[in-house]
Parts: sequence; C-alpha cells; structure tokens
Amino acid sequence: MNLHTVGLNHDSAPVEIREKIAFSASSVPIALSSFTQTFPLSEAVILSTCNRVEIYATSPDNSLNKEALLDFFSAFHGLPKEKFADHMYHHQDMNAVRHLFFVSSSLNSGVLGETQIISQVKEAYTTATAAETTGSMLNQLFQRSLTVAKDVHTKTSIGKGNISVSTVAVDLAIKVFKDFSDKTIFIIGAGEMCELVLKHLVERGANTAIVANRNYDKAKSLAEEYDGKAINYENLDDYLPQADIVISSTASPRPVIHTEHIKSAIKTRRGNPMLLIDIAVPRDIDPKIAKIDNVYLYNIDDLQTVANNNAKDRKKDIGKCVLIIDKEVEKFMAWFEELKIGPAITQLRNHFHEIGEQELERLRPKLGEIAHEEWEHIVYSMQRTLNKILHKPAKVGKEKAKNGGGYQYVETIKHLFGIHHKDETKK
Amino acid sequence: MINLLSPIQYIFIVAIVLYILDSVWEVGSLFRPGTFSKRLSNYFILTGLSFHCAFLIVVSIRSGTLPITTLFESSTFYLSLIVLLSVILKFLYRLQSLTPFVMPIVTGFSIASVALVRNDLALTYNLKTFWLFAHIIPLFLGYASFTISFIFSIMYLTQERQLKKKSFGPLFESLPSLETLDALMWKTITLGFPLLTIGLVAGTVWAKTSNILGLLWYLDPKVTLGALTWLIYAAILHLRLGASFHGTKVAIVTIAGFVVVILTFIGPFLMGHKHGYEKGSVKFEQEIAPEPPGIAKVKS
Repeated sequence: MNLHTVGLNHDSAPVEIREKIAFSASSVPIALSSFTQTFPLSEAVILSTCNRVEIYATSPDNSLNKEALLDFFSAFHGLPKEKFADHMYHHQDMNAVRHLFFVSSSLNSGVLGETQIISQVKEAYTTATAAETTGSMLNQLFQRSLTVAKDVHTKTSIGKGNISVSTVAVDLAIKVFKDFSDKTIFIIGAGEMCELVLKHLVERGANTAIVANRNYDKAKSLAEEYDGKAINYENLDDYLPQADIVISSTASPRPVIHTEHIKSAIKTRRGNPMLLIDIAVPRDIDPKIAKIDNVYLYNIDDLQTVANNNAKDRKKDIGKCVLIIDKEVEKFMAWFEELKIGPAITQLRNHFHEIGEQELERLRPKLGEIAHEEWEHIVYSMQRTLNKILHKPAKVGKEKAKNGGGYQYVETIKHLFGIHHKDETKK
Repeated sequence: MINLLSPIQYIFIVAIVLYILDSVWEVGSLFRPGTFSKRLSNYFILTGLSFHCAFLIVVSIRSGTLPITTLFESSTFYLSLIVLLSVILKFLYRLQSLTPFVMPIVTGFSIASVALVRNDLALTYNLKTFWLFAHIIPLFLGYASFTISFIFSIMYLTQERQLKKKSFGPLFESLPSLETLDALMWKTITLGFPLLTIGLVAGTVWAKTSNILGLLWYLDPKVTLGALTWLIYAAILHLRLGASFHGTKVAIVTIAGFVVVILTFIGPFLMGHKHGYEKGSVKFEQEIAPEPPGIAKVKS
C-alpha cells in the first residue's frame, strides 16, 4: 500500500522542536510541490498545527520510507536530521490510516474531544487538493477520516460536556435562564476570565451588559466592546437588582458582594432568580449568599469540578471511539484492496475478450455465406461463454478484497494469464 | 379482581400495560438514553393513549353520555386528559423531560383506579343535560391542566434543588431551565383557571336550577372544596400577576393547589359524601331520584 506518515506532536516533541518543523499556512503549498518534485509519482498532504506537524504520503513505487521523509523535512527546513529525528514517529500502511483516524477524531489531541482538529485536517486536505498533490488514495483517506471524526463525535461522548471553566459557567446559566436576550449580565472586575464568560453569553444571545471595575477606563473599554454600560465601582450595589447574571473576578482581598446586598436585590426582583459566578480567589461573593432563595452561587472550584467531571466522562468513551475507528480502518483497507482488484478484473476481462475477438475473426471467413442473424448468434454465444468463465474469478476477487489477501490474488491472476507483462508493454 | 372485568375494561388494561412500558422507557431514557430509545417511548405513549381513548369512547357510546357514570370511569377520563395534555405539550415545546415525570404518576393512578371498578357508586341524575357537559368538561380539563402545572412545579423544585446542591447528573442535563419551567407552570395554570371558573359556575347554576344537591348545595363538601381550589389558584394568579412573584414560592403554592384538587376529586367519596353518586345498582338516566316534596316547593 506504501502509505507513510512521519511527524511529531505535543507528546513526542517540545515546542522548541515543533516550531522549527512546523509549516506556515503559506509554506505548505510550496512544501507540497517540492515534495512531489522529489517523488514524482507520490501523493502528499501536510498537516501542520500548533500541536502537531505530520506529512501523509503514498507512492506506487517503493521510493518512500521513513528516512526519505525525514530527509525531506531536513532539506525543507534546512535542519540537520539528528536535531529532530528522535522526536519523529513513523507509521506505515494500516497503522498510518489508523493514526490519521485517531488524529482527526481528536483522540490524539492535547484536549481530548476538541473539534478544532477536524477543521484543521479538512484545511490540510483542501490545501493539498488545491496544490494538486492528492490522488485517489489520499482523497479517499482524508474524506473518510473526516467522516470517521464526525461519526466518533456523534456516536460517543468524546466531545460532550464542556471542559473549560468559562463554558461550564454558561452551561449553568442555561439551566437557570431560557434565553439571554432579555437578561442583564453584570461584570465585576474587567478581567480576562470575565470577558471570556461574557463573550460566550453574547454568542448565545445576551445583549445587555453592565461592567464595574476599580479602574473605570478598563471597565469602559470592555463595556464598549460589548455594547454595554460601564458604571462606577462605588455604585455597584445599586445595579445588583437589575442583574440576572453576575460574574465577579476582582483582585479584592475581601468579599465585594455581601448578603444584605443580594437579599435586598432579590426582594426588588420579586423572586426572579439570580445566577452569581465568582471566579475570583480570594472570593468576591460572600458564600452565605448561596442560602438565599432563588439565588444560585458558584465559585471557581464548583466550575472546575464540573469541568473535570466532564473531562473524565470523555475519557470513559475512548474505548468506544477506538472500536468505531478500528472498524473504519478495516473498511478503508477493504476499499484499498478492492481498488486494486477492480483494474485487475478489467484487465482480465479485456484479455479474454480480445482472445475471443481474435478467434471470431479467424472463424468468419471459414464459414462463407451465412445469414447475419446466425453470425450474431455465434458472437453472442462466444461472449456469454467468456462472461460465464469470468464470473467466478471476479466474484472471488471481490470477496478476497473484502477479507484481505486481494493483493496475492491479483498477482496470481496476472501470473496465470500472463496479463501483467502484456499490459505494461501496451502502456 | 382482574377476572371480574368486563371485556371493554380490558381495553383499559392494555393501555395500562403500555403506560407501564412507557414509564420504564421514559425514566430510563433520562439516565441511559442509549438503552432506552425515545422513539420507542413515543410509540408506547401514543398507542397507550389510543387504547385509553378507545376505551372511553366505547364506554361513552354504551352509556350515551360522558364517561363519568362511575368513579372508575371519571378517574380514567381525568387520567386520559392528563396524558393527552402532556403529549401535546411534549411535542409543542419539544420537552423531553415532562413525560418521564407524568407517566409514572399516571400509571400509578391508572392501576389504582382499577381498584375502583367494583365500587358501586354510580351517578344518579339525568346525564344528558347540557349542564352536565358544561360542568364536567371544563372542570376535568382544568384539573388535568392543574395536574400538569403541579408536575412542572415538581420539575422546577427538582431542578432548583440540583442547582443549589450542585449535583449535575443526567437528570440535571435533561431538565429544562428554571425560567422555562416557571413559564410552563404559569401557562398551565392560566389555562386551567378559566376552565375551573366555567366549570364551577356551570355547576352552581345547575345545582341551583335543578336542586340535585338539595337546598344546602353549597354545603356539599365537593362544592366547598371546589371553591377552595378556586381561591388557591386565584391566589397564585395574584402572586404572579399582581405581585409578579416568581421562583420557588410560586412552585410551592402550585403544589398546595394541586393537593386541594386531588382532595376535591376523591376526598368527598372517601369521606362518604356522594355529590350526585349513589350506592347500589342505580343505572343511568332512567332512574332519577324522586324529588323530595320540600324542594319542589322552592323550585316553583
């Protein structure tokens, strides 16, 4: 099959090495064309992300192997092989197929189940098709890898449940509120984490934000970014009754939101629920507030616990993913075998029918004057005979392809009828 | 007891069996969606409901009136409306988590109602009057609606508990947001309240004009409890509409309202008050209780 992949990832190599081997988006097409110049019959795809750099290549001849691919990396980046060779892994044929399926399904990613890799694989493939360095083999391989990734994500929990604190906060918010379009988000302390949660909420339809920060200018700039309102930090309590969701992450050593604030706020709100998210350490919101009716308070540990549990759940499903992938690898290998069987059977068929035609040509003058209809019968009978003879080998060939061993079968047939040689001279 | 059932009642037994299967599937699909498919549970609930309705239709055709001539029939009629309403809400709002709460309760009540088959209390009045329909249909629909709002408040309190206790399991995942549940609770109450009002007014007019409950009709326990139900739901309306109250308080009052609904529905029977039902082999409209002379005077 001669499919090879050589590369490195976050597990096998430190970032210092990865960045030297990585291809920028603009250099990928150049690298691909230089690769196909070196190996003219080959197909190639380069996958280069911040976590991995891999090349997938196949060639009908035996020109490709680990060393050849390492040489390519070395030559392209002008880097001696010794500097990175130890960090590179190499997979061949079925293992290479399996590796790609693992990668695209994000079983090989730093963050298990992340979906970014799917689009990265897709992009690597489109770049290669644009550079015209893919053929029937890699086309099939990459298209299948994307389908497999989709399958793995829909049929297992590998991508389910958020595993970052900011998205978990949003998960909780959607269990309190139906939609965010009529809700007010109150941000206290214009930190990065607050902004991230706000961003996720805005993506889900939130459009009213109030920002309070010790540094008013900082509050203003964040508020402007999200069409919100910046307020004076001292007036914080006055705005609490308006807030449906409060996200707090100030650097204050003492709580900034006290029980009486929330008690009076909830009274004004007449029982309308409030969601309070405290991502500050030390905490900004008095933990006693959690006891107030219709108030839901979560601190950074609560969010982290949910995130960790989700991560654990993802890990539980790895076995399921591997099962799906192994099945798909098998299917791909079967396709590959069939790919070889198909042309072999066509060759065999052409070979037989050629002989038949020759014989008919010899026979025609010998018969003298016969009716056109009778001649048609003879031709038809000849074709039927040949097709009947060919039926079995073709059928067995397809079966062999499915169960493996197609390769030997093709070789045997070619050998048996001497078509291999003849076919090549024809070309 | 089962072998004492009439062939028609076996139709209801089939419905119960399907409801049992559905309950298992509904609850199962919350916790193990892979094993208990939602499609199968849809199939169970819809065929179960079809059998249930078929049973009621056959009963109605035979008696020529609403399926409320015995306590058993009224119970099954009420239960069918609950299932019907939850199926409508399930598909209207794409609520996967409503039926897992409704169906085990309905199934339990359905099984319990079979115990009432041998109860020989039967309705004694002219059962084809306009007033019967005007009284019973809105009331039963209202009760079904209140039952669903009760289920929503249970769901609300469950979800609220989980949010407070920070237990985010599969149940947490499948239950909708508090705001959604609050809105649905409110919708079903506002659907039930006008129906309850119409039913009670019709009943009052009926009792006044025909004297079927006697002179002191307003002391009939069912009438008193009906009025209490009305007051409780009026209070909920006031809380939400007037004082615009939300959240756990409304949910708790809604549960209290439903307790009174159930009390009104079966309480008087348990205490021996009849509200138009008589012991014995009194059958349908042919045997209307003779009016006591005193009432005749008042009537004229």
